Amino acid sequence: MSRWLLGEFRTSQQLLEAARGLRARGFTRMDALTPFPVEGIDEVLSLPPSRLPLLGLVAGVGGAGGAYLVQWFTQAVDWPLDVGGRPLHSGPAFIPIVFESAVLSAAGALFLGVLVACGLPRVTHPFFDLEDFRSASIDGFWLAVTVVDDAGRDAADAALRALGAAQVSLVDEARR
Amino acid sequence: MSDVAPKAPVTEDPLVEATLLEGRYSNDQIGQSLLRPVLGPPGWGWWALVGVCSALVVLLVVAICVTLFVGVGTWGNNIPVAWAFGIINFVWWIGIGHAGTLISAILLLFGEKWRSSVNRMAEAMTLFAVACAGLFPLLHLGRPWKFYYLVPYPSSLRMWPQFRSPLTWDIVAILTYLTVSTLFWYMGLLPDLATARDTAKETWKRRAWGLLSLGWRGSARHWRNWRTGYLLMAGLATPLVVSVHTIVSFDFAVAQLPGWHTTIFPPYFVAGAIFSGLAMVMTLLLPARRVLRLHHVITEAHLDVLARLLLVAGLFVAYGYIQEHFFGWYGGDPYEMHAMSILRTGPYAPAFWTVFTCNVLVPQLFWSRRLRTSPAVLWGAALLVNVGMWLERFVIVVSPLSEDFLPSSWRHYAPTWVDLSLLSGTVGLFGLGFLLFLKLLPPVPISEVKQLQDELESSERFAREVVAEARAPGGGA
Repeated sequence: MSRWLLGEFRTSQQLLEAARGLRARGFTRMDALTPFPVEGIDEVLSLPPSRLPLLGLVAGVGGAGGAYLVQWFTQAVDWPLDVGGRPLHSGPAFIPIVFESAVLSAAGALFLGVLVACGLPRVTHPFFDLEDFRSASIDGFWLAVTVVDDAGRDAADAALRALGAAQVSLVDEARR
Repeated sequence: MSDVAPKAPVTEDPLVEATLLEGRYSNDQIGQSLLRPVLGPPGWGWWALVGVCSALVVLLVVAICVTLFVGVGTWGNNIPVAWAFGIINFVWWIGIGHAGTLISAILLLFGEKWRSSVNRMAEAMTLFAVACAGLFPLLHLGRPWKFYYLVPYPSSLRMWPQFRSPLTWDIVAILTYLTVSTLFWYMGLLPDLATARDTAKETWKRRAWGLLSLGWRGSARHWRNWRTGYLLMAGLATPLVVSVHTIVSFDFAVAQLPGWHTTIFPPYFVAGAIFSGLAMVMTLLLPARRVLRLHHVITEAHLDVLARLLLVAGLFVAYGYIQEHFFGWYGGDPYEMHAMSILRTGPYAPAFWTVFTCNVLVPQLFWSRRLRTSPAVLWGAALLVNVGMWLERFVIVVSPLSEDFLPSSWRHYAPTWVDLSLLSGTVGLFGLGFLLFLKLLPPVPISEVKQLQDELESSERFAREVVAEARAPGGGA
């Protein structure tokens, strides 16, 4: 059961400065929740680089290879149909479907990959219990600090307030 | 907020940044103004248009029933014109769809900021256009319930689809395009669905949007993965647009019919698709901008740049026309020369010259800046281009088929009421889909507009700091 301390800031600049401030004070388990992507927050939170490009590549190559195999097997092996003496294993004629299948499987994998990487769908996250958290998709810039014990909670509370948070609330997954 | 007076902020120099956002707003105001059409009750105009479109959809259903119960013989096409409205409408609709992907994907890759205000509507247009397009080949099969014969599945017949034929390429291309554009559109929608969820007052609306938004929280981890995935999908969608319409043009170019068998077709089709799609974007965008009062995010700078794109695409299309006729003559093949000359002088010549007027002459208006930013002129021109591009596909499909190698088998073509009902019916279906979209989903990407404003503000702040530093005693050079 996790506990978070959520602080709301008014602008993206305040959020960035507060995140830097919290880091300087030794808080590392943080997340920012904002209505639009804030430039530079990834570096402050030191998020790992996304592995989605690799996923897209693998899925794309897999889709292309699969499509070529299906076409080769159906046209040249399982049901060889002679059309005016044209080659049965006619690679160039297979290219359009190979390309389309590569795009289809890469895009599908990326879509699912984004959802998995974001931990979605999850419509009942504990943050949503906090009524004011609605502003996170409108005009509020929130910082969530994961706290383990009461001392950590008090320290994070003080730090968030000192850095200019407009409001600070505790969200406890255990108390839902 | 609602009375933002649009001025004429178009800059003289194209390199100077144009006004992409009229005025500055709080993030809450942006959200409220862009969600107003979704949260408020619909006006009488919306209901009237829904009525008209629903009537057309009823007509579509009637025409489909006639086609299914009586047969494709109720259509006007027969030998030698075996392809007519079915393919014309298919190519027209799928081409319209392509500009949506162009605006959202290609411009995202190029980092064009102006895309943010128009991409959502353009993408929605793509979806409905592709759905309309898909109907025609399906119905043209004659037995649409056997469409799955085109999919390679291990059947007891021990037969497989013929993958050396462009028609099997078509079904893969269309299904891929429909799927990828839906995923791309939905992924772009996620953050805005969360905004709608959090702005709505009624519980059922919050629940509905909450489910659709999949629980988006706007976490930094969400944004990071979302942006990576979105950008990569844009990178995939961009070549997809080109490939899909290339494959559509292969349906023609791979055949050996004079007037079709030409290598100019793939690029010429892609240019035509983007051209017609831009026209359709304007046809929808300009009234929506006015009625939904989106002047602050869809500024005259957006109209200006769309008109320029229309002009450029129109020039590509004109080049295609010239090349087609030049090669017909230069190749010296009598059948090819005949196919080209009946375009200009034959029974379908009025259609050909209308195409020339609408697609080549009308876009030339947009060399003038004043006309580029006049919504009325743009809308009129866009309608003419829509008509011109439909007729272009008509002359491409019908004219070479009706007079091919053997004069004894020449026969001209006329559509039946079923053909015309199917065409107008899909216009109604497309319109109905777009109207429902405008009512149910945020028509302009809210998070992107907020981000755009944030970027504009920070660059202004940076400029102010530089100036202040330069003016300070001892500071600056």
